[in-house]
Amino acid sequence: MTLESPESLVSAPYRPGGRHRREKVWENSPKRLVPQVAVLTGRILRRWSRDPATLVQSLVMPAVFLVALDIVLGDVIEQVTGHSGLYGQVPLVALAGGMTGAIIGAVGIMREREAGLLSRFWVVPVHRAAGLLARLAADFVRIVVITLVVMVVGLALGFRFEQGILAAVVWVFMPALFGVALSAAVLTLALFSSSTIAPQATEIVIAILMFFSIGFVPLDQYPKWLQPFVEHQPVSTTIKAMKGLSLEGPIAQPVLLSVLWAAGIAAVCAVPLAIGFRKASKRG
Amino acid sequence: MIVDSAIPAAVRPPVSAVQQWWVLTVRMITPTLRNGELATQIVGSIVFTIGYYLPLKQMMGAVQPLSGYAQYLTPLIVLQAIWFAAISAAFRSATDSVQGINRRFRAMPIPALTPLASRMTASMYRCVVALIVSVACGYVIGFRFDNGVLGIVGFVVLVLLIGAALALIGDLIGIATQNPEATAPMMLIPQLTLGLASVGLQPVERFPEWIQGFVRNQPLSQWVYGLQALAGDSSGNAPEATFAVLGPGLAWVLGCIVVALALHTWVSRKRRSE
Repeated sequence: MTLESPESLVSAPYRPGGRHRREKVWENSPKRLVPQVAVLTGRILRRWSRDPATLVQSLVMPAVFLVALDIVLGDVIEQVTGHSGLYGQVPLVALAGGMTGAIIGAVGIMREREAGLLSRFWVVPVHRAAGLLARLAADFVRIVVITLVVMVVGLALGFRFEQGILAAVVWVFMPALFGVALSAAVLTLALFSSSTIAPQATEIVIAILMFFSIGFVPLDQYPKWLQPFVEHQPVSTTIKAMKGLSLEGPIAQPVLLSVLWAAGIAAVCAVPLAIGFRKASKRG
Repeated sequence: MIVDSAIPAAVRPPVSAVQQWWVLTVRMITPTLRNGELATQIVGSIVFTIGYYLPLKQMMGAVQPLSGYAQYLTPLIVLQAIWFAAISAAFRSATDSVQGINRRFRAMPIPALTPLASRMTASMYRCVVALIVSVACGYVIGFRFDNGVLGIVGFVVLVLLIGAALALIGDLIGIATQNPEATAPMMLIPQLTLGLASVGLQPVERFPEWIQGFVRNQPLSQWVYGLQALAGDSSGNAPEATFAVLGPGLAWVLGCIVVALALHTWVSRKRRSE
């Protein structure tokens, strides 16, 4: 990964036996971690950018979905709530795009496990955490890009930021917060299952989170017994925070709840994810 | 002596096309019982039923003409379920194509159409499962057949015909792209767009004027009209099951099948020469 350039090899002090030519940095030192994560993240992102299926899924599908959603439900929601349905739909579509992308990551890691690439990385001097962190970093970049694409389509349809530039910047990173946490959960599932059940089960969970969220239709449209779930599930809290950051409404409480959800999912997944990645890397 | 040649010449075992078709069909169906495909299909149908019904019941229920929103929505739910079955078909076809088993079959004494026939049979099996589960879901939320036995038979036949057309398109996409991961996104975009922009969720008058022509005439809407007519309704507001209502939907189905078959022949011929 981080090979010294020929000059640095030449200028290294001569020591008999050829030892100690390399910089004396511990293999698992943070100093190695950052450049290695950057290299591995670049690898994943480059692969995605050259795969038509991933590009269509990430860039075209959310845009088409947002337009269809706005045409079908836009007028009805505006009649019920008095403001454009876009303030809920744009975050919903950004989140949906981010969440379905987690499946691509899961399929990717399963394929690299089968192909032996993970074991290959395990035997070269790479920081043990670099592989996993690179996956999550790549997911972060992907979700931010999707959010920006959906935002541009939304702006064309009539979506506007009313709360200033700082709120808009925070808005862009909100879907990535929950999206990366969900990616970690899906990766954990993928590492512990060998069949195609992981992507399919993920699709069902995503469908539930999407249909029963305040971004699909307003909260009071759901049956009474379902409202507590709809109101407090992570996709709804994120949408509520994003609505506050773009149109109006509370910001602090929904943002805090979203952060708690993401932190909670991350805390539950962290240890199994690390164990699963180590197990998958030592296979074969 | 030539007769005593050292080359072993075994008698070719008798082959039966029907048995080959059955073996290849079972090969596609058995894994679905074990790897969770069947289970996810059932759970998926249930989730999509309540996912459309519960949130939209209040807003859309008031503006549709039938006796209840369940009666109005169920045809769309059935269509979405068989579309999902077609995505599975595309995935399997792409996997077979990329792993080279189709090529292998071509080197064996199997009639050229048998692999496709067995894949289509497996697709129809998925389609029947999707139909049963989604109609059962519909019954739970309040859908009822109200047009006699003939209506039910017509409903089932039309759904299976649409399912066959979609499965054929899925098979074509799978064999043409040879990329299992690409199949789902490629088929999900039309599913979501056509599904949302169809008369399955709300009547055509509720859409903005400029898009009404597309909404009314696109295949999914015409199929929804046909299925609503065949299912009937206690309020008597369902469209009549006449040729004027069913005709366009049938034309879409047959058109899809003809075009997909023609493209399928072309793609398979290209694959054969590789």
